[in-house]
Amino acid sequence: MAKLKPEELANFGEKAVKAAMKNGANEAEAFLSETLTTIVGIERNQISKNIRKNDQGLGIRAVYNKAIGFSYTNVLNDKSIEETAIDAFRSAKASKPDKNWSGFAASKKYGATKDTFDKKLIDISSDGLVDIASVMLAEAADYDKRVFVAEGEVQTQLSSRTVVNSCGVEGFDEGTSIECGLATVAREGQEVTPVCMEFNAERVYKIDPKWVGKEAAKQAISSLKARKVGIESFPVIFNQTAFSELLYFTFINAVKADQVQRKQSALEGKIGKKVASELVTIYDDGLMANGLNTWKFDGEGVPCQKTPIIEKGTLRHYLYDGYAAKKDGVESTGNALRRGIAPYMSTPIIEATNFVITPGNKSADELIDDVDNGIIVYSLQGAHSSNPSTGEFSVVGTPAWKIEKGEIAYAIKGAMVAGTIFDVLNNVSALGNNVRKVNQIVAPWITVENVRIIGK
Amino acid sequence: MKSEFAKVIDAGQKLGAEYVEIRAQKLFRTVITTKDSRVEVVRRGIENGAAIRVLFKGVWGFASTGTLEQKQLLDSITEACKMAKASSLQVKEPVKLADIKAVEAKVVLKPKKDPSKVPIGEKIDLVLAEDKTIFDFDKSVKSCTINYLDISGTNYFANSDKSYIEQDKLYLYLVTAVWAREADKMALASDGIGFTTGFEIFQTETPEIVGRRVAKRCVDQLKAKIPKGGTYPAVLGPQIIGIFAHEAFGHLAEADLTMAGSVLIDKLGKKVGAEVVTIIDDGTMEGAIGSYKYDDEGVPAQKTVLIKNGEIVGLMHNRETAQKYGTKPTGNARAEDFRYEPIIRQRNTYLTKGDHSFEELLEGIKFGYYIKNYRGGQANLDGTFQVGVQEAYEIVNGEVGAPVRNVSFSGNTLETLHSVDAVGKDFELNVGVCGKGQAAFVGAGGPHTRVKEVLIGGKA
Repeated sequence: MAKLKPEELANFGEKAVKAAMKNGANEAEAFLSETLTTIVGIERNQISKNIRKNDQGLGIRAVYNKAIGFSYTNVLNDKSIEETAIDAFRSAKASKPDKNWSGFAASKKYGATKDTFDKKLIDISSDGLVDIASVMLAEAADYDKRVFVAEGEVQTQLSSRTVVNSCGVEGFDEGTSIECGLATVAREGQEVTPVCMEFNAERVYKIDPKWVGKEAAKQAISSLKARKVGIESFPVIFNQTAFSELLYFTFINAVKADQVQRKQSALEGKIGKKVASELVTIYDDGLMANGLNTWKFDGEGVPCQKTPIIEKGTLRHYLYDGYAAKKDGVESTGNALRRGIAPYMSTPIIEATNFVITPGNKSADELIDDVDNGIIVYSLQGAHSSNPSTGEFSVVGTPAWKIEKGEIAYAIKGAMVAGTIFDVLNNVSALGNNVRKVNQIVAPWITVENVRIIGK
Repeated sequence: MKSEFAKVIDAGQKLGAEYVEIRAQKLFRTVITTKDSRVEVVRRGIENGAAIRVLFKGVWGFASTGTLEQKQLLDSITEACKMAKASSLQVKEPVKLADIKAVEAKVVLKPKKDPSKVPIGEKIDLVLAEDKTIFDFDKSVKSCTINYLDISGTNYFANSDKSYIEQDKLYLYLVTAVWAREADKMALASDGIGFTTGFEIFQTETPEIVGRRVAKRCVDQLKAKIPKGGTYPAVLGPQIIGIFAHEAFGHLAEADLTMAGSVLIDKLGKKVGAEVVTIIDDGTMEGAIGSYKYDDEGVPAQKTVLIKNGEIVGLMHNRETAQKYGTKPTGNARAEDFRYEPIIRQRNTYLTKGDHSFEELLEGIKFGYYIKNYRGGQANLDGTFQVGVQEAYEIVNGEVGAPVRNVSFSGNTLETLHSVDAVGKDFELNVGVCGKGQAAFVGAGGPHTRVKEVLIGGKA
């Protein structure tokens, strides 16, 4: 493994900052990331590919006369770093000043994180990942002959990030993750089910491939013999995947401070006001133990933290990076994200970390028991086409099942779910105790009353 | 590069690989982001890297590395072979590749105005001119984000079938989002244009034209009402028919997804749509964003007919799926960059022209919707699709009426293909970025088209 030592990374960062300053920058900030990814891929019922990706690089922001230039490189040597720093400075010089620019982050002590690194995930061999994939495949195949595994994968990742700036910030953090998942369909006669996906994602080696394989197969089989429903308002139980899709493209955008400041958010001026049912409490917790998005510091070197967003239905806080925070005269909440497979290539944007919805005390079965005539949805098709500004969405719930008299009655197909996220949050009537991590969300199943379903 | 690559291929074959492929890139990228007339950042970067793929006892091994150094490439090929070996014992159906003719080629682009040579200041001025047009359009415009992107450089390809290709790459992409607000009404509109031509294209696609188009769409939405939910006839504009051709149908005809269980699995040679429906995926359209000379397996791009007069006549293939189907690869294997392995992607996918005027399409619709511009779309292997819409109007008694918002429509792909009953004589190709685990620039389009029914997801 071509892994650089923390000192080497810090050294490259310092060199970049120094080179930018020496050439005339007023301020500079270097961000380095290194990612090693191993994937065993499944296609059409068998393991078909093995992938190893090694990516490292440095990005530097240089400020000149309040204008910002950014340049990156994946060639880490002294010469390349110097050239990259100079290029960033040149871009800043060619750009226009931003009168609101008020500097990079100042140095602060970082909090401790827990369960974000597991040496076992570094030591695991390709053979080990092949075994995990085989277990998932065998479970799915044993469940029912009508199940077909469209695709799947087992992935481990080791990544590190380093930040250095001219205001004294210097940070290093590294973490691991593992993910295993399957996408299945079931076929019977002319009928094909929608794709059903199940997965486990953790920062430490604590996954259950047997459950994933079985659950993915079970969902596909129970999606057979789907029927249409009419046009009606129902109580809807959203599982974590469905709710995360809905929230990510609507509400999470609405609480980003830059969107509020730029008049793009329906939550402008709503701090301290009721925006959701009293049952709803949400924190953004960048330090959550074993959180999929837990790091000691964010993409600007600001310490990650736990920030209350909604407490018992009342909006408490927006998500901030350094720039938006200074505009509002508050502290950054540590939500500046360097996005993507190669974070060093990107400049920070505001993003949620672990968006934790406080669970209730009902089991999944009890939530279903409580619904007399409603729907349960496992995924939403088209959530990315929601309107992040107004919170309006109009998506297809798939896979989804009809609930009648407290029992799952039958699969439904082609049912659209429409409304606004703010109505959804106000109409939350129950939360389960079955918490799971899915993308940015950490949540239980959630029952929402009076959701518009357009079936045919 | 050729002799360095040959050594790596040789090393792979000595390790026992039955097929070896190397792709490398030397690309240069510029991104400019403005937010509300402020230049947030100018980003530039160099991306060098290589991807090595081997077929080892019927299993793929893939290793990517952010360097072009010979030693790293040799390490990577060892790694790729070792990993593939780990799962080769499990394989039931070994992967085989369709034969292709070896290609030796050099594709050199000579744009009139090479974006990598255009000064940063000129690019910033372009973006700020668009920003100004947008804010000047109407005082209800409250916010605007513009992202300008150019990518230029060269991709290198070699494989153990004795192909060696050097291919210049050039992309221009301009994405705009506009927010408007009036009292408690909010609206958002977005627009993306892209080309594989030089910077001179902005003399015809001027920032003023682009800015005014997206600003108008946004401001018009403030007057829009929420539509009725239910099943209605609709006229789909070129943007919408494009996303339908790409999302709802195209993905199902990507042979890897077809074999993964899409509803087209047993439909080759069968009628799946109305006689007026012909859908093509074309990688050879000059200057279009989804066009290229050779794909990332070294196969020449081509024009692939998917549906002819309602009948499925072809699928999109890479070498692996072509072998399975006993047919020829269609040149659809694309990789986002060196970090990814090539997979089957669409290029420029469109419905071909018919003979109706726009007015003729509207005729006879008592009440329905004219759906003009989308926000996003997604399809499932079972043929369920959803398209979120940013611009749509009612059709009342054969005429375009009031604008509606928060509309999205869905349906079943095959039912909708049968429900197409008239195709327009106009044509437009638009630009998108498709995500299938990795991003790809794609073109999509067609003429205005009428469908007998789609399901509109509204509120009332």
